[in-house]
Amino acid sequence: MPLRSSPLPRMAGHLSFMRSQAKSISDVRSGDLAVIGIPFEDTGEPHAGQSLAPRALRETSVYFGWHANPQFSHPVDIDARQDISTDGLHERLCDLGDISSDNDDAIHAALKAATNQISGKGACAIILGGSDHLSKTVESALPRCQTAQLGGRLDDVRNFHIAPLPKEDGTSCSPDNSANLAAFSEWREPSKPLFVRFDLSVFETSISALCDRPRLGGCDLDTVVQWLGALGKHEVSAIMLTGLNPSRPGMGVVKVGQRLMVTALLAFIYARLGFAKDHPNRQTSKENVLV
Amino acid sequence: MNVATTLNPHLVQPGHRLFEGPLRDVADVTAGQIGVVGMPSDWTHSSRLGTRFGPDALRRATTLLQSIRPNGVSVDPDTGLRTAPVTDWLIDCGDAEITAQNVDATTEAIAGMTEALTVAGAIPLALGGDHYNSFPACLGFSRGLAKRAPNARFGYIQIDGHLDFSDQLGAWGSHNHATNARRISELPNIDVSNMVWVGITGWVDGGDLALIEEQGGRVFSAGDVHKMGAAEVMRQALEHAMKGCDELYLSIDIDAMDAGYLPGTGSIVHSGITPRQYYDLLDGLSEAPLGGLDIVEVSPPLDPSERTEFLAAEMLFRILRRYRTRPVAEQ
Repeated sequence: MPLRSSPLPRMAGHLSFMRSQAKSISDVRSGDLAVIGIPFEDTGEPHAGQSLAPRALRETSVYFGWHANPQFSHPVDIDARQDISTDGLHERLCDLGDISSDNDDAIHAALKAATNQISGKGACAIILGGSDHLSKTVESALPRCQTAQLGGRLDDVRNFHIAPLPKEDGTSCSPDNSANLAAFSEWREPSKPLFVRFDLSVFETSISALCDRPRLGGCDLDTVVQWLGALGKHEVSAIMLTGLNPSRPGMGVVKVGQRLMVTALLAFIYARLGFAKDHPNRQTSKENVLV
Repeated sequence: MNVATTLNPHLVQPGHRLFEGPLRDVADVTAGQIGVVGMPSDWTHSSRLGTRFGPDALRRATTLLQSIRPNGVSVDPDTGLRTAPVTDWLIDCGDAEITAQNVDATTEAIAGMTEALTVAGAIPLALGGDHYNSFPACLGFSRGLAKRAPNARFGYIQIDGHLDFSDQLGAWGSHNHATNARRISELPNIDVSNMVWVGITGWVDGGDLALIEEQGGRVFSAGDVHKMGAAEVMRQALEHAMKGCDELYLSIDIDAMDAGYLPGTGSIVHSGITPRQYYDLLDGLSEAPLGGLDIVEVSPPLDPSERTEFLAAEMLFRILRRYRTRPVAEQ
């Protein structure tokens, strides 16, 4: 159970992802979504601050902690007019806390061990970074996985890149999302689980000013939501969020980046848990049409 | 009831006036004029504060934008019509007295001013503040309308990223920025079936949505604005809100606009509603029988670029176009 399920201001109470239950890694079960934070950053980044991202992401996620607030009924995706039943979410979503601060080697070793342990139990790790370079450590802990990459550095041509980032051959991903989904299906080897790298730079820079490595020509929120919803239907060993710098100079008060990432991540979580469902009796947006 | 509230604490004493209008008491506002009421209060917001500085920012931004507009006859680039500025169309009545630790006192102070304006036949324009303050502004309008026209009913349109239709919100109870529309729905001269929400986005509470729609209220999402177009959405919204009603109360929550454009607000959304779409929504009310309105959730400390207050000021230029300008015959 959540430590506290009664209504609380967002700035109060225990801080866990979406107010989920705190768990020890040894208690993670198959099918769980286990959140861990890596509050560390690469000193080579142009600005300091990515180590603050796990806390910022958790703080924003509390806004979406529907399952832990008995005052609310249930969430509805207002555009799709789709009910989202979050019953049982707190049974399967848990927060393991952060990797402890130590020397560089120890941090990488701890991250690798935690990822191994979570995926070994048949659970999915939701890793809150932190710098993108830490994703190489996660990748090394998941040798069987195919890596799908939303934004971030282009460092392995075997990965599937979801964003209009230039590829090594000089071409770029098509903005046609259905074509990209078809290409993804072709690339995918169903026998292998996925590792998803989700970097803030996947978003168009004009809607996310909190990214240290901004890219023009990025995706809008709807596109990223579509992708994460689609990826969530596959077997995923880990998803890692990177690239958010909540203290980006002059932009720290805005909090756009963490809101974008958490909003999009919900599509992944709900898809993993199979929560989205149609509600045949609900008044739908078909009423709102041109007349 | 105390309606002469132009003597205020230092915090809320306006340095600028909205549209550089004269600063006078609510008793000096006459029928047909816009009477401005500042509501510098964000003590009823549950997370990101700063909207207490909203009224002053709106006053500053409208004054600045007004100063760079033509003083004489000109062509309005949005309508293509020749227009001239109107004088004496707006009176800034200063700010209501805000009592941070007393929601009831704050509510009555705001409602007292908007009530007096409505009784006089003026149009109250309330400047937030967080969205809770929309309730006292509308409460005063509702009371004033009941005195001026006892059988009159009003319709309600809320442009917003959120429904604000919760009955209670955690530690804040029943009177806060998530319950304002619910409290308005309980006023005696309005029915939920005449309440319309435009621009709602993301995940909303299913119980609140069902309660609205079961009672005949109408909700247009941000996606509806994209699919149908802003003009058509507002045409349908106005038609629905005004069924059997005499006047319209409009609540403008700036947070319906995508946070990429407008980050300086308490509860940001990524709706994708652009400034152009937002302005088109407001242009769709150019002929609406506006009885009262508010604009809320401008939080200057949350936007170092200051663009939020200028986007919000432009919203006021749009919705008040017919009051601040008059058409001039072609020569």
